[in-house]
This record gives sequence, structure tokens and C-alpha cells, in this order.
Amino acid sequence: MRPATLLRLALAGSRTDVVRVVLTTLSATLATLAGLAALTVLAIPTPPGGDPYARSEQYASALLREPGLRGGTAFALLLLTVPVLALAGQCARLGAPARDRRLAALRLAGATPGQVTRVAIAETGLAGLLGTLVGLAVYLGGRALLHRPDARGRLPLPTDVLPSTPVILAVVLGLPLVAALASALLLRRVSTTPFGVVRRAARERPPGPWAGVLILGGLAAFAAIDPVQDWYRDRHQEQPALLLPALLLAGGLAATLGVVIGTGWLSYTAGRLLHRSARRPDTLLAARRLTADPWAGSRTFAALLAAVIVGGGAVGVRANISAELELRRLTGAGIAGDDNFYLGTLDLVDLAVGVALLIAGGGLVVALVEQIAARRRAYAALVATGVPRATIGRSIAWQAFAPAVPAVAVALTVGLLLGWGVTGGGTRPGGYAQEICDAGAQLCGDPATRAAYTRTEWVSVTPDVPLAQLAGVGAGALAAVLVTVGVGLLFLRASTAVEELRAG
Amino acid sequence: MTQLAARGVVKAYGPTPALRGVTLDVAEGEIVAVTGPSGCGKSTLLHCLAGILRPDAGQVTWRGERIDTWSEAARSKLRRTEFGVLFQFGQLVAELTAAENVALPLLLAGTGRREARAAALGWLERLDVADVADVRPGRMSGGQQQRCALARALVTEPRVLFADEPTGALDTLTGEQVLTHLVRLARQQHTSVVLVTHEPRIAAYADREVMLRDGVVDTTGLGLERPFAGERR
Repeated sequence: MRPATLLRLALAGSRTDVVRVVLTTLSATLATLAGLAALTVLAIPTPPGGDPYARSEQYASALLREPGLRGGTAFALLLLTVPVLALAGQCARLGAPARDRRLAALRLAGATPGQVTRVAIAETGLAGLLGTLVGLAVYLGGRALLHRPDARGRLPLPTDVLPSTPVILAVVLGLPLVAALASALLLRRVSTTPFGVVRRAARERPPGPWAGVLILGGLAAFAAIDPVQDWYRDRHQEQPALLLPALLLAGGLAATLGVVIGTGWLSYTAGRLLHRSARRPDTLLAARRLTADPWAGSRTFAALLAAVIVGGGAVGVRANISAELELRRLTGAGIAGDDNFYLGTLDLVDLAVGVALLIAGGGLVVALVEQIAARRRAYAALVATGVPRATIGRSIAWQAFAPAVPAVAVALTVGLLLGWGVTGGGTRPGGYAQEICDAGAQLCGDPATRAAYTRTEWVSVTPDVPLAQLAGVGAGALAAVLVTVGVGLLFLRASTAVEELRAG
Repeated sequence: MTQLAARGVVKAYGPTPALRGVTLDVAEGEIVAVTGPSGCGKSTLLHCLAGILRPDAGQVTWRGERIDTWSEAARSKLRRTEFGVLFQFGQLVAELTAAENVALPLLLAGTGRREARAAALGWLERLDVADVADVRPGRMSGGQQQRCALARALVTEPRVLFADEPTGALDTLTGEQVLTHLVRLARQQHTSVVLVTHEPRIAAYADREVMLRDGVVDTTGLGLERPFAGERR
């Protein structure tokens, strides 16, 4: 097949295909922006003079000024790409039945299975490339527009530096390549025949215990940060520069992947429990659907759970830092810097979590509408036989909430533990020895009598388990699920129209 | 005695007319085949008679009462309690086992889970598919799926069974087996059947054939030999 033909066929399609391509492009744009922003932060050079801790005073924000904080800032920006990439994955499934019919028509017209696969891969790759190019243009345009120093000549953003050209090229070309490869990987289980797309039987077994192993591995990586740093400090050795980012990245990814995959197990278990107690058709339908395709829960909630983990982590970090600030107030010793710096930074993280939840909410809507559309004929047949739409609606709500509630709880717990891990352990009380004199100003002020009335106490503050804040993040996530189910049900009426029964 | 009737039913999809004034009576226990070429309005007529679609004009009556003016919820309940519906394909819920699929209408009517399953197993037995009771549709043959769908349509012992090309996706032999079951059980239950088909061989199972052409009843069609016509009670 000539490249021009491949291009033409890849870009042909219905309105749903156009929506899928647009959403894939948008996801790639957002991922490019987050990725380039993170790389820009990492590209900030250390000021000349040889001091690795020298501040970059040209920036207004301490997050950019302090070399010790730039790694964390870049990491937080990179974490934002997780829900964006999950959204891209969900968008890839949008309009799948229509695309399947189109691909089958190509096979009927004489295309080989390989050619059809290349058409599908080309569509994803081109949409991704368009997205990264738009992302690069927005990044460069935004960089020029936002380069406005304040009255003290300091920049709000690192608009004076650029990542190196090979790094930019790696993002712009790498993301579409990864998207295309992911497409190819997904199509491994699909064979397109002239009569339609045949998917190999979905795996009915729930995921094995390795989801738990991934979570534990991720938590262990975060828990190891403090001891590893202590180990190097005790030996007066410089720790490898990449050790901390590697532990953060590997631990964060392993834990997130574990939670997302573990949701498959939760879906399966919730389905089995629901089936055992199902007395009504809505719960029966939901229970069987959950056990028949436990991976649907993982796919649907991937972006949301990633955002919840980051949210839980931010809550854990805030609890630890609040305890540290309280300790400093009591003893006058402890972490440096003013309270507003830490709390302001955490507010920024909360804002990022809010944005991530919004993106995840968009992904949820896409996934749920796609699931309803894929099953529209079965739903239409049920309605035609007299099953009330409300029954189907309730079964969809059960399908969403039965795995979502425990999965959000697990994600919050894992996020909290990760947050505690990165800030030195939530249950380990930090403390300082402090001299306390209770005898009043006169006796305590006189060096001759002070010693007699002074005792030394170990003052410590144990961080609280921030249940209220965790509940807030959890409620936000479940509210997103609720809104999504509501929006999805709006599509149910159209999807159960009698015309669906006529589509051969 | 007429149970179900259409009077001057008109239905269009946008600018395309599907039915242009169809009148039809279905008596109690009668099997009526609605035939005609593709696009003549057969399925649309069935959907209007079953209360799935509302006609644009004309009336549909069930036991003398107009149902085309009923709310969707009321028509939905009528389909659940008095009617059974059988389609060409796509009607079984993929995730439920055969027994659960058949039990579904009973569960909707409030029957307990055990009683519903027992009734479902009974119907699967009568249709010779008891061996797939705990199997999901994806692992059944087309004929087994269609017999399960027939069991589901009949499990509430409906007064009327609507069958839209029920053998359209089956081979000749399997199709005839399904039709034989359908006619035998409908006769036993004294259930009326509205059978939509474009195959004269299938229409021959009915007591009476109504041919549609371009949205109206064609009165010029030739008569057919009806092997089951004498069995009506």
C-alpha cells in the first residue's frame, strides 16, 4: 500500500472517528505540554560558581529557585501526564464498533490483515504526532507570551531556558511512536476479517496477586528513600544523582500500576459478592458484567485512580509538613523556610490534583459512553422486551460504583503511604530535645537559679492521619463517578432506540 | 376474537414512509405471518403492534384498549407481562448464563431468584437446551442461543409472541427446529404469534399470511400451502 493511500484510509471515517482523533490529538497536546514543562524545569542550569545548592535568583517562585525543589516540581509535572495518558488510552476505544466495521469493509475490499493493522496504527500515530506538534507550538508560543519579568526583574516561569533539541525531538516524536506501538500491542488480540473484528476471548480470570506485589514494591521504594539517604549521609558519601528520581519514578509507577491493575481484582470480587446477594435484575446484570470483564474497571478508572493516588500523596505530605511546622513552632528547631512557602507549594499541588481529577473525569465520560455504545444492541433488545431503562441505568450505576468505592479507598491509602514515604514517614514522630523552665521569668532568667528549675524534655509531634482531607479527595473522586454515570445515562436513551435492533 | 389490532397505522422515519395505513387483526391463538420484501415495513409494523414504536397516525389496540396513547412505562410493562419478543439476533445478554437470561423477565416481575431459576430451567428443558443452562451465549451455537431467546420470550407465558425474523441468522435445519418449537409451544399456551419473515418457507408455518408492499397490505399475493393451519385450537 502506498503511503498516500495509507494516509487517506487512516484519516477516513465517521464523525465518531473524527471525535476519537480530536481527543487523541488533545491528549497528546496536554501530555506534550506537561512533559516539556517538566523538562524545562530540569533544564534550569546551576548558577556558575561550583556550588550545587546555589539558588537561581532569576525566578520569582522558590519551586524554580531552589535546586533541591526543582526535581520534585518536575516530578509533579510528570505525574500530571499519567491521567492525560490514561485519557488518551480511553479515547483510543471511542467509536470502536464503527471503526471495526470500517476496517472489516477494508478487508472485504481486499486489504490484508497487516494492511488493516497498519491503517489503525497510522491513525493513532498521526493523531499523536499532530497533538505533539500542536503541544510544541503552544509551548513555544506560551513561552514567548509569558516571558514577563516582575518589578524585581524575576521571571514567574522558566521562560529563559529551553530543553535541548534532542530532548524536545524525543518528546515530539517519541509520544506518537509510543501511542502507535501501544495501538499495535492492543491489536495483537484482534483479528480483522471481512465480516467484522474478532477479539480473542476476554480473560475471565481476575488479575493475580502481582498487582499487590507492585503496590508493595512501590511503597517499599518510597519507604527506602529516607534510609538510603541516611546511609549515604552516615558514610559521608555523595548519593548518585539519579538515585532519588529513580526511586520516586519507579516507586510511583509501580504503585499506580498496581492500584490500576488491582482494580481488576476488585471488580471481579465485587461482582462475585454482588452476584451472591443479587435479588434484582439490575444487580444481577451488573454483577455478571463485572465478573465477565474485570479489566473494564481498570481501563475505566485508570486516570481517576492515578489522580486519587497523587491526591492522597499530597494529603500525606501536607500532614507531615504541618507536623514539622508545629514542631518548629514548639521547639524553634526543624525545617527551614517560612510556613507560607510550604503551604503555598502544597496549595499548588492540590490545584494540580484538581486539574488531574477534571482530566480523569473527562476520561471517565469517554469510557462510560463508549461502553454503553458498544452494548447498545443488547440494551435496545432488553428495552424492546420490556426491561425498563431505569433497570439498565441502575445496573450501569452498580457497575461503576461497586469497583470504584473500594478502588478509590485503596488508591487513597497507597497515595497517603507514598506521601508519608517521601516526607519521612507519617507514623514516625520527629522530635527535638528542649529545655523547659517552669519557674517563672525571674527564676528562669537568673543563671544562678535557672538550672535548678530547668528540665530537658523530648518534644515530638506525631502527624495525624488526615482523615477529613482524605475523605475530601475520595468524595471528589466519587462525585466525578456520579456525574459521569449521570452523563452516561443521558446517552442511554439514544443507545436503546429501536433502530439499534436493525443494524445488522 | 380479535386480541390485537392495527387500524390505519402510519409511520415514517423522517421523510421516508415505512407504513402508509396498515390495518391488521390478530385473533387469540392465531399465528400470523407478516411477509414482504426488504424495506416494506414488516419490522416497523411489528414494533408498532408490540408498543415498541408509537405510530404517527392510526391506532393500535390490545383487547379493545388503545395502547399507542399509553406512556412508555405502561407499554414497557405490557411487553414485560403480556407480550414476548424474539429477534433475529442480539437479544441475549452476553454476560448472563442461559438460565439467567431466561429468568430475567420473571425477576423483573418480582419473582424470587430460586423460583425464577426453576422456571427458567423448565423452559430450557422443554426447548432441549437444558445442557447449556449455565453457559453464556458466546459459547453456544446460534440455534441454542435462539432457543434460549425463545424460552425467555415464553417464560412469562405471554398472550402474544412477536418474532422478528427469528430464523434469519440460522441455517435451514436449525431454523426449522426453532420454528417447530415456537409453533408447538405457542399452540400449547394458546399464544398468538406475529411472525415477521421474508421467507415463504417460514411463513408457511403460520395460519395466515399478510403481505406488505411499500408500507401497505398487498391483497394481490398468492395463497400458500399451510402445514400447521389445521392444528389451530
